[in-house]
Amino acid sequence: MKPLAEQDHYETLDVARNAAPDEIERAYRLACSTYAPDSLAGYPVFEEGDVELLRERIEIAYRTLSDPAARAAYDRELATAEEAAEAGAAAASGELSAGSEEGAPAPVLEPLDALDELDESEGEWSGARLRRARLRQGVELEEIAKTTKVNPTYLRFIEEERFDGLPAAVYVRGFVTGFAGCLGLDPKRVAKSYVHRYEERKPGGRRRLFSRK
Amino acid sequence: MESGTRDGPPARGAPRLIPFGGGKGGVGKTFVAANLATTLAKAGHRVVAVDGDLEGANLHTALGVPRPRSSVAEYAAERVEDVEKLLEETPFPNLRLIAATRPNLASPQPSHALRIRFVRALRTLDADFVFLDLGAGADSTVMDYFMVCDDGVVVIAPEPTSVENAYAFMRAAFYRRLRLSMLSGEVRKVVGVAMDERNERGIRTPLDLLREVKAIDSEEAQRFVQVMRAFRPRVIVNDVRTAEDIRLGFAVRSVCRKYFAIDAEYLGYVNHDEGARASVRARRPLVDSDPRSDAAVYLARIARKLIAPRIEATEQTRDST
Repeated sequence: MKPLAEQDHYETLDVARNAAPDEIERAYRLACSTYAPDSLAGYPVFEEGDVELLRERIEIAYRTLSDPAARAAYDRELATAEEAAEAGAAAASGELSAGSEEGAPAPVLEPLDALDELDESEGEWSGARLRRARLRQGVELEEIAKTTKVNPTYLRFIEEERFDGLPAAVYVRGFVTGFAGCLGLDPKRVAKSYVHRYEERKPGGRRRLFSRK
Repeated sequence: MESGTRDGPPARGAPRLIPFGGGKGGVGKTFVAANLATTLAKAGHRVVAVDGDLEGANLHTALGVPRPRSSVAEYAAERVEDVEKLLEETPFPNLRLIAATRPNLASPQPSHALRIRFVRALRTLDADFVFLDLGAGADSTVMDYFMVCDDGVVVIAPEPTSVENAYAFMRAAFYRRLRLSMLSGEVRKVVGVAMDERNERGIRTPLDLLREVKAIDSEEAQRFVQVMRAFRPRVIVNDVRTAEDIRLGFAVRSVCRKYFAIDAEYLGYVNHDEGARASVRARRPLVDSDPRSDAAVYLARIARKLIAPRIEATEQTRDST
């Protein structure tokens, strides 16, 4: 989605690029009633000035798209503009586009999980959750390393759950206790939860020897 | 009976949670939720209808359960820990109820932590669908329940007050979702600023906000775009009388896109039906008392759309067929 002012005629009318004439006609009529001054759907959001502008844009979009010759000319114009934009985007990569992005997308928590994390007394503490709690407070790993005197590499391994790179559970418990304390979390609970994970998942861990056959 | 589950999820696995909100009271949330639940149950899906409104519980009445034995209130007071124990039979096979009657007015509202635990427990129920009928308003007690998924249902009536509240509701849900998803404290603060419609920074739409977030942190901006794309509330217009009322759903969709950058979906409408009033008075879902009525037919159509696989799932569907 784009800001109103940057929308092309198709987006303004909310139709696909290959919309048939009757679809455009219908979309136009819907847009007219939606953005009419006394519109039920529109009145709560209309502010003076911008809806007039929007109506004008709808009018221009319709006049262009309902005339085959004008529409063909407009399509060519759009295509050229998009080619230019793509070339520009490729040059200045890193800019956010609507489509695919290079690299892995930033992970987003499910709504409920995100909600859950607000309450820090609940749930399991994974490395990822520790990292999120840290980022949320804008604390760097180095700062935690300085306060806790724990090697920053170990702190990073804790966040990334690289259990094979971490020392024995007693030490990990101590590290996580310090880590959690720096973030104002309940150190005991967090450490207990994390160490539980560590013991379950660490290659050749204690749990596996006993609890699995 | 089981054969009816053809277009639903497989019999095993977690149920799909579907919240019904909308901001304003009296627009027919409970009527719509109760009738859709009954429709799906009659088609062979296993449904649990949950009343999420401790302040104005009446889903049980709409479903013809006069005096529920247990209630969410028991859970809130931590007298009942096992959500299974709250389940109550209804007159309809496949349809069970969790009521919210509150015999003791002094009993507490569930805490935030308890609400989350409750929703998690709902996910473990042996059912295909769990409906959550929410109370009016857009405060955190309602919003926590609306956050069970990205495509909750918003019920509106064709009247200005309802439309206005529906926008406020969707906007509140969207910003709450955004703020929850952002990790950096600075970005969260900016989202907080944007939640105030009259903020000094001139952030009016999520797109203005995105620009600000981009300037702070590009990873957060990526996350922002993802949340924006996933958030797809679904609108039902209830009590429709004219062709213009029917178009209201499309108009709301258009305004949501243009003004809030929210990609709402129009799920359908239920037309005005004198039988609807009568069915409420008879404490029996309309789709049961008068399945041939126009409203029942429209409700059935909405029910089919409601449980259709989500758009994101299409790739999987294509692979499996």
